[in-house]
Amino acid sequence: MMEEIGFVDVQVGAPADTFGGASGEKNARKFEVYGYPFMGHKPK
Amino acid sequence: MSAELPVDPVALREEVKSKYREVATNPHGEYHFHTGRMAAKKLGYDAALVDRMPDQAVESFAGVANPFSLRPLQKGEKVVDAGSGAGFDCFIAAQLVGSTGRVVGVDMLSEMLEKSRASAKRLELDNVEFREGIIEKIPVPDGWADVVISNGVINLCADKKQAMQEIWRVLKPGGRLQFADIANGKPVPSSALRNIDLWTA
Repeated sequence: MMEEIGFVDVQVGAPADTFGGASGEKNARKFEVYGYPFMGHKPK
Repeated sequence: MSAELPVDPVALREEVKSKYREVATNPHGEYHFHTGRMAAKKLGYDAALVDRMPDQAVESFAGVANPFSLRPLQKGEKVVDAGSGAGFDCFIAAQLVGSTGRVVGVDMLSEMLEKSRASAKRLELDNVEFREGIIEKIPVPDGWADVVISNGVINLCADKKQAMQEIWRVLKPGGRLQFADIANGKPVPSSALRNIDLWTA
């Protein structure tokens, strides 16, 4: 979606086990849910 | 409601408000996600920046990853935090951009705004301010921001494309979006996508 809007040089960082050890862990594991950092640039 | 959206955006916004109002007023309650210093540590935030903050500024943090991990902010940059909650990421950003930079946190919850403003005062940060608003209509002029950050907010928007377009509007040419959010590796059933209660469960 970022590229569809116009962002360029889009990067995705390493996943974080956001819900590990929390009560949402079971559902997170079921659907392989992780947190990610994203970055994209608006062209000059 | 748009036929293309899985849920009604206004109804979803009210559900999100209810959940995060609780996080603001009862940060040590039972949630399906981590909060506070535990969350910051788990997500790899710079301990030197977090440790100097009082508990009030950290306890309601409920981010999902670290938006600063792919590139640190630079001194003097102007930053918008779309969905700033109790201000945690704004306080990190304010330390990184320094006195020549500027940070604007935007949130729709009065409880979060009240808490973030109190923390900014306590931290004696005069390069950060908080404004009431939503990510689909950010109260910042066109092309103002060098950087837009956000953490765990876009996934809670029914119309993600509209949110992205609004972020694009407030970014200056050459500016960048650095956000953290969740993504699923396995498909979520469409019945679950249409169930508003599950969006914040």
